[in-house]
Amino acid sequence: MAKQFRKILKSDKFIITAEIGPVKGTNVKKMIDDIEILKTKVDALNVTDNQSAVMRYPSLGTCLLIKEHGEEPIFQITCRDRNRLSIQADLLFAFSRGIENTLCLTGDSLKMGDHPEAKPVYDIDSVQLIQLIHNLNSGKDLSGNNLDGRVDFCIGASATPSADPIEPQLIKFEKKLKAGIDFVQTQAVYNLDELKRFVDYSRNIDKSVKILAGIVLLVGAGMAKWMNENIPGISVPQNLIDKLAKIPKGEGLSKGIEIAGNLIKRIKDEKICDGVHIMAIGKEEKVPDILKAAGILKI
Amino acid sequence: MIGQVKKPIEEILDYLDSKKKIVIYGCGGCATVFHTGGEPEVNEMKDILIENGKDILAAISPPFGEFTCYAPWSKKRMNSYKKQINDCNAILMLCCGDGLQVVREYILENEFGLTKSIYPATNPVGHMGGGPSLFREKCIQCGECELGKVSGICPMTQCAKGLLNGPCGGTKKDGKCEVNPDNDCAWVLIYRRLKELGELDKMREIIQPKDWSKMQRPRELEVEPLSLE
Repeated sequence: MAKQFRKILKSDKFIITAEIGPVKGTNVKKMIDDIEILKTKVDALNVTDNQSAVMRYPSLGTCLLIKEHGEEPIFQITCRDRNRLSIQADLLFAFSRGIENTLCLTGDSLKMGDHPEAKPVYDIDSVQLIQLIHNLNSGKDLSGNNLDGRVDFCIGASATPSADPIEPQLIKFEKKLKAGIDFVQTQAVYNLDELKRFVDYSRNIDKSVKILAGIVLLVGAGMAKWMNENIPGISVPQNLIDKLAKIPKGEGLSKGIEIAGNLIKRIKDEKICDGVHIMAIGKEEKVPDILKAAGILKI
Repeated sequence: MIGQVKKPIEEILDYLDSKKKIVIYGCGGCATVFHTGGEPEVNEMKDILIENGKDILAAISPPFGEFTCYAPWSKKRMNSYKKQINDCNAILMLCCGDGLQVVREYILENEFGLTKSIYPATNPVGHMGGGPSLFREKCIQCGECELGKVSGICPMTQCAKGLLNGPCGGTKKDGKCEVNPDNDCAWVLIYRRLKELGELDKMREIIQPKDWSKMQRPRELEVEPLSLE
């Protein structure tokens, strides 16, 4: 059941992607369950690559699982763990197995993860990675050698609309646009005015790039405060934290689903951007409930 | 300069475990500035090793300005201690790894024809500038300086990820780096400087992937020798 994410990107459909975070180990059952739950309800599943610099089942392997289970994957590639040879080789393999969508990321610092003693790579950065994929798409590797067999990747990038200071981030994003991307997925947004400001900036430079707003499912006031303090570029407004704080114990998740649903509904109804990317962080099975709360899923 | 810190004395004593007769050799360059191998540290090491039952055949403290890593100087210096060096079981180097290896290869092996145990007493921690008290790593000697494109602030050194095309998403609200919140985000600093210089367009130019072959080690240079007279 090929959906052709890139065709959807070119349509007027409100785009919905969800994140799959690979497991630590080889027990892939929960991932498969999540893939089965989500596959008819989203446009593509986006797989993190050793997220938070924690070693896990690979992004590429999970993309294959998603393909095997009939959904379209987005292959997240960070520059932290692989040099330009390894990245290109993984991309060739990915395309040969029908994985055609990419999301180009820098990668969290090793210091944040569970192997802080490892040697970081960052041979290329996210902007150069976008250029590298364009090279591959044109039949050449990064050194200009011809490829035997073509690839044709759809290219995504990330952006941080709520960063402070914002301008250095916007200039970097401008480079990603200049390098050429098909879609951008943002860091979690809660302040829709900041999202609008970012969308205006992006569309002013390139109207064709589809913008997916990042939606992180909040499960309580504690998580919201933790993200505000620990994750740069995420800013949960105080009124949302207050709402979550008033919820009786055990009901934080349902409130979080309602908050995420409302955000998505507003983004869709007010046509703020082209879609959303839902990061449920371990609660992937709740994505359908979020979509119901947003009025997108009817059943 | 080569920033350096002292190794734990336990590690040094472990190296010297079966060695009785020791020559200590400091450095009048970086190791003097970083208090790892100047005269006071050489004397201190001598006392510690004597307390631990070692015979110190020589404790050499080159004067300030005499870099142990510069072979013509260390050769001249070591020539006056040739007998002690010949008699010792090990040489303890209170300097960076450059100094130790210059002494091992160019002086001991090539000049004196000696194969001697030689051990480090410091941990070098980077090429650093600044002082007199605070030193910071500023340059990774990448072989192809990019400072002209980035307002004189090296992102390969100052950015925790060495990014060449702008900040990652880890810039904190105060413009600090999430990897080490004591440090400013290199790209916020570059942005501010380029803005002040009226050259913000430079930040919009995509810097191409770095030619890391210029860092293929070991690198070497051939230069016209300096006259020391």
